[in-house]
Amino acid sequence: MSDDLKKEVQEAPLLWPLNPIPTFEEVYDPKICTEASREISTVFEGWLHPKHEMAKPEALGKIRVLECGHGGLQCNTMQGGGYLAELGANVIMVEPPGGSPIRKLTAFGRKRYMFKDNINGDLCGGTFLHECRNKQSITLDLTSAEGREILKKLVVHADVLIENYAPGQFDAWGIGYRQLSKINPRLIYVWNGQKGQWGPLTDQPGELYPSSPCSSGWCHATGLPKSFGGTPLRAGERADDILCGNLTAHATCAALIYRDNVSGKGQFVEVTSAEAHLRIHDYAWGWYGVDGSSKPRYGNWDLAINIYSVNPCKDGYMMVGGGHDRLWYRIWKTVGKDRPELEDMILDEPTLRVVIDRVGHDQQVKTLVCLTDWMKDWTREECRAKLLEEEVAAGGVSFLDEVAEEPHYKYRGMVRGLDTAHYGKVLFCGSVFYGHRTPGRVKDLGRPVGFDNSDVYRKLLGFDTDKLNELYTKGLI
Amino acid sequence: MTEHLDKLPFEEYCKTVFNKDTLAEKPECLKGYRVLSCTQYILGPCAAAYLGELGAEVIKIEVPRLGEPMRHCSPYNEPWFYPVSRWNPGRGTSPAFQGANHNEYFVTLDYRKPEAKEIFYGLVQKTDAMVWNYRPGTFDRWKIGYGACKEVNPRIVLAWCGGFGGFGPGRNWASYDILGQAKGGVFSFTGHRAGRASAGFPSKHTTWIMDYSIGMLVSTAMLAGLYWRDTVSNLGNYFECSQVQGSTRYTEYGLPLWGRMGIVRMRWGNWDTEICVNGICKCGLSSYPHSDHPAEQEEGYICVQAYTDEDFAKLMNLIGRPDLGKKFATHDDRVEAKAQEEIYPAIEEFLKDKTKEEANRVFSGAGIISQPLLTCREAANTEHWLERGALGWYDDPYYGDVFTQKVIYKMSETPPRLKHVHRPVGCDNEEIYQRVCGLSSEQIRELEAKEII
Repeated sequence: MSDDLKKEVQEAPLLWPLNPIPTFEEVYDPKICTEASREISTVFEGWLHPKHEMAKPEALGKIRVLECGHGGLQCNTMQGGGYLAELGANVIMVEPPGGSPIRKLTAFGRKRYMFKDNINGDLCGGTFLHECRNKQSITLDLTSAEGREILKKLVVHADVLIENYAPGQFDAWGIGYRQLSKINPRLIYVWNGQKGQWGPLTDQPGELYPSSPCSSGWCHATGLPKSFGGTPLRAGERADDILCGNLTAHATCAALIYRDNVSGKGQFVEVTSAEAHLRIHDYAWGWYGVDGSSKPRYGNWDLAINIYSVNPCKDGYMMVGGGHDRLWYRIWKTVGKDRPELEDMILDEPTLRVVIDRVGHDQQVKTLVCLTDWMKDWTREECRAKLLEEEVAAGGVSFLDEVAEEPHYKYRGMVRGLDTAHYGKVLFCGSVFYGHRTPGRVKDLGRPVGFDNSDVYRKLLGFDTDKLNELYTKGLI
Repeated sequence: MTEHLDKLPFEEYCKTVFNKDTLAEKPECLKGYRVLSCTQYILGPCAAAYLGELGAEVIKIEVPRLGEPMRHCSPYNEPWFYPVSRWNPGRGTSPAFQGANHNEYFVTLDYRKPEAKEIFYGLVQKTDAMVWNYRPGTFDRWKIGYGACKEVNPRIVLAWCGGFGGFGPGRNWASYDILGQAKGGVFSFTGHRAGRASAGFPSKHTTWIMDYSIGMLVSTAMLAGLYWRDTVSNLGNYFECSQVQGSTRYTEYGLPLWGRMGIVRMRWGNWDTEICVNGICKCGLSSYPHSDHPAEQEEGYICVQAYTDEDFAKLMNLIGRPDLGKKFATHDDRVEAKAQEEIYPAIEEFLKDKTKEEANRVFSGAGIISQPLLTCREAANTEHWLERGALGWYDDPYYGDVFTQKVIYKMSETPPRLKHVHRPVGCDNEEIYQRVCGLSSEQIRELEAKEII
């Protein structure tokens, strides 16, 4: 490493944590928590705290996954592969020579938001680093016949293959499920996409998020109604790719169970983000079936529950939830401490007395105007503290700096920094799978292009230096 | 058979192996697994329902008589499926309950009653996996938590899911889906920024996405636990998945960006921060100007994707702005904020006199990827979803013809399938307590009379 680069690493420290991570003594201080609460929580902590994770086995430790999702800009395979890698699978990302185009993505094209490789100076976007956790990176040119022959050899050693190329592309190349299952009948082959690889709305080559939530009614139903000054909205994050990834991990685990318990054979799986959106679109479809209703946009309120909404307060936006009587009256008790007239107004209103009567639009307006009238005088943290006193679920809309500094998240190791070999210290969100015996974990974040070429090709295919050099020269890896 | 499949064109091949009409002829993926679902609302229930679709025998335990709260929240208090239970023929179950409770058996049990404990342990003994989402510590207080369950059944795979997790300073905080969205971070960067189409509110996702999507991960954890148990260790397991963490996990470059550069990811409306053109544009005309539904009267919207240099130039020529095509010829040029502020309004100008369908025809004709924003009603009538079996009418044994979401994904050998949308509270008390726990009909009636079940 050159001296310049060494210096740069030292000068790019992690701006986290701004406040120290709370200690065990602070969290379970007898002054703020009961003996019983401390006892049970420390038991949980002993079972689940990520500080114990490296000493434990991994649930999918014997599984190898080939992730061939880097031909375009769809990020769905990256998510699914990420969850499998957190659970211990050996996930090998197959990128085109030169690297995945997703590496180059950065907000507004700003290079200064990218992460520089300490060793060769290459830049990599934050999304790629964050999602490609625990994965090995190899390069292979799948557009060439010779590259595809190499992929076929890798498939012999794989349990799972995930891809998101245009519908039928792999099949036309001779590396679709029909062909690969002859080489390795135990292979579980997962296709990821927006709307599907068959049917009238089959994915067009190059189609990306957010086309799937647009086609499922999801975007149309997100956002404020027009009368409130709103429009349909996409999610800020790539919600559809994320859902597709979640289901890919789910389907893969299910297919592995069936393969190893029952059939000994793999299968062809198709996961699309639009269908994931359709599947989880709560009451929209049942309601349509009852009377033909089309679920409208309802902004930050909920059509089925009152109170279950986000509204403005003094320094931002505040979520308060409590639809049924127990919580409903606690919310108004809290409000009444500061503004007894608001509590009276709600309690005196006959149409707000019965849970199911409260969800009419007029009732929601009446309720939330009163609630917001109280909240406008208080900050998010003040509102929350007051509501938590009555054990009401409440919290402000947090910006990411506030999320990163939330003591609870820091204490649980949910938000933490990882000292990566190439990109310095990177802040990330840990694995969702806290576990007693086989926790999910993050061992590494995204790696440089082709970082594991030598390791993977030597170990799995027995390629030697000459062969690797030949492939590099030909531009195949 | 396989030879025949090998010769089919790819699309025909897919239609054959994923055919929605042959699901019942194929084996079930998780047949023989039993899952207990001690859950309410969405997060826990859907995790079990996904396993139910794959063929696991899911037993859902609810409080006697009224069942869980999600049965009782319906949009505008309008659609209901009757009856909620045989004790309450006049009340119904909300369609919101439907998607999270496919294919389950419904029993009742009041965990707090001393007599319930033995029945519960009986179920735990004969169960492979269990999921619950009561506040952390509640089940442990009732002596039916992980500690107690693993004594009764060392092979059980348990998953707790909920708001903030069982240890740490926030362990007692309650949570809901939108609290997860709000406290986890995705809420803050969804929505318009101030000054454009609206005053710039942050916005929630329309569905209870942090419930349903974390449910997928909880379900994945249970599957991974079962896989490890059955093929490696023969040991049970315990997982804890926090809803808020899911929301933070989805923030992509947000945390790395803050941690290194001290920059907070913010809202960027319907455009894409990393790719251009990839956004949702407003068309000038409504497709249903005479509708009585406010969301249909308004102008249509369309998603446009032209992010390669070639497609972008094509799009700019199409909308009569070749100057912009030249000005922002490369990816780096057009993804900048200022460039996006010029490009999208130019597209919307072009769409001013079109409905979303017309816009789609024009874009498709020019080879530009586009997708009109469908309303829920349009999505429900989209041939693509009906043909693929993602949505459709279903002849439910309890509720007759219902329109419903069906399966989560497609598998060629062991496809997930829908067997019933859900059932009334306590509908399967007789069946499950007899078959699984060995209780007699008399005992069951007696327990029901005492409201233990």
